[in-house]
Amino acid sequence: MERIDSRSAPSSVPARRALAAAAVIAVMTGAAVARAQAPGDPTIIIQGLSNERLAVPACVPRAADDASRSACRTITDVLRRDLRFEGLFRFVEPSLMEALPSMDPANPNLADWRSVAATILVTTRAQVTGGEAAVDLKVVHVESGQTMASKRYTGRADNPRMFAHQASDEVTSLTQNRGVARTRIAFTSDRDATKEKRGKELYIVDYDGFNPRRVTVNRSLNILPAWSPDGRSLAYVSYRQGVPDVYRASIFEGKSANLTGGAGQSFAPTFSPDGKRIAYASSRSGNMEIWIANADGGGARKITSSPAADTAPSWSPTGAEIAFTSDRTGSPQIYVMDSEGLNVRRLTNVGNWNDAAAWNPSKEYAEIAYTARLEAGGFDIAVIDIATRQVRQVTAGRGSCEYPSWAPSGRHLVFSCKRGQTWQITVANRDGSAIETLGAGPGNNVQPDWGP
Amino acid sequence: MPKQSRRTALIFLALIPMIAMGTGCRGKKRPPAVTTDTRPTTPARPSATPPAWPDVPVDAGPDVQPMSEDATRAEDFSVNDASGEGGPLADVYFDYDQARLSDQARGILEKHALWMQNHRSAKIAIEGHCDERGTTDYNLALGEQRARAARDYLVSLGVAGDRITTVSYGKERPLDAASNEAAWAKNRRAHFLVSRQ
Repeated sequence: MERIDSRSAPSSVPARRALAAAAVIAVMTGAAVARAQAPGDPTIIIQGLSNERLAVPACVPRAADDASRSACRTITDVLRRDLRFEGLFRFVEPSLMEALPSMDPANPNLADWRSVAATILVTTRAQVTGGEAAVDLKVVHVESGQTMASKRYTGRADNPRMFAHQASDEVTSLTQNRGVARTRIAFTSDRDATKEKRGKELYIVDYDGFNPRRVTVNRSLNILPAWSPDGRSLAYVSYRQGVPDVYRASIFEGKSANLTGGAGQSFAPTFSPDGKRIAYASSRSGNMEIWIANADGGGARKITSSPAADTAPSWSPTGAEIAFTSDRTGSPQIYVMDSEGLNVRRLTNVGNWNDAAAWNPSKEYAEIAYTARLEAGGFDIAVIDIATRQVRQVTAGRGSCEYPSWAPSGRHLVFSCKRGQTWQITVANRDGSAIETLGAGPGNNVQPDWGP
Repeated sequence: MPKQSRRTALIFLALIPMIAMGTGCRGKKRPPAVTTDTRPTTPARPSATPPAWPDVPVDAGPDVQPMSEDATRAEDFSVNDASGEGGPLADVYFDYDQARLSDQARGILEKHALWMQNHRSAKIAIEGHCDERGTTDYNLALGEQRARAARDYLVSLGVAGDRITTVSYGKERPLDAASNEAAWAKNRRAHFLVSRQ
């Protein structure tokens, strides 16, 4: 779907302001918007960074009890952070909002909000009763007074962050973008290893580093997790039967299945965008090649044939092509082929070590992130434009960084950086701005994969 | 060379029991019971019983028959610690970003081939390891190439391929977790785990 935030829309002309009615926007931007206007959809579409200034006042408790007030404090902090992370909006500073008279979220005085230059008002109210929470979200277009979204979320009260994440995704969806607030990141960590059992296990955290959960518990070496598109499975590599095999874990059922059955050594599994196939690297033919199998491991076939090592496959957003690493010219470089293994061509030409391709899943950005040694010594994350071959560096001077993975929106990257003595999960915007270390927990945290 | 050394080893193994038997016979004193001992029995024994022992020496041939040799050989499969280090086969080391065997590595592997021929029930798993420099996926492939290089050389020396499995650990399980040249050199290795059957 075409996006109509500020980066894909041309310039900010008055007719494109948020207050425009659906008919007007449909005329301006064509069918993509018309498609988005299902009956009952808001008729206003948030334009994005250059046009909108969001006011996100503190959540108002609907009862004076501690639980409701505590939930509200969390929701305020998390919602503001979530929306800021999206990188699509400007914000009214909290100090300006605090100077305003107290507000009834059900009936805000819009003149007050115009006075602080807010264009979109995002209010929340919360009440905790017993173990249940109810959270109301209201999004108001300040200039017209029109309600753009009005939702009530109910559920268990023990994780109020989830209500804020859902509210954030709702606001982001008004820009025709997909929010990342409810996404999760899988990764590998040695945090539960002991001197006797030097295993690595798979873990999942919310996209903001909170709510860590352990997936594998076998104390073997479990590495290289990759999400299925439905977010219910992880493909990964485990040494639990001696040789590295590809497994598929059903994370909600707590089950796993060996998909490669000891046929050679298998690494780097990755699901096709439709979830029906898995590509991985395997030595079962005697040399490391790219293989494709059905999602249950059946029907495995080899699609590369090179005396060099071919590894680290990554599917294009349509599933028609696969990027991979090969050292067939003497140094590891990124190549692209169609998903039958034909039409192989080299993509990277800068640097003598390029590995771990991650194809941007958004069809809007034809680009591939990868690990690059651009200077002697350390590795950095880089992104190459597939059409122009132009390379932009995402990290610089943060120690060694590797193993990039895109958020489902294609607007953010996650990777692992070694700072000091340990590896930590790190996130950044796709242009390399707003790099931050995720507080994902103790130990070395590596091989992140950003899931749905 | 490989065939010859295997034959030598077999001859040597066949000789062991004979030599053992020979020396055993010569060195062992004949038990008193089969000599012509006619001393009176101790008072506790019934004195009326005539001596059961013949007056003449028994057959002069060997008095112990050879036992078949099974289950008496001791082969050292012990591993000194839980981490799997310290097995009977020494590690083989590699240069940075290389899976090529150095002359030194070949020398070590030739000893390993001999050991494999002397321990015919042994199977080995060769682990390929890398130092922490370089990317995850590339190192997993490089570790596979290192283990395969060691395996291929052992096979070329006459070790049966079905006695050897290979496993790449890339940079996932370094022997020394430090980030310096000494640790990296230790971690660029093929490591040998020995098992029976």
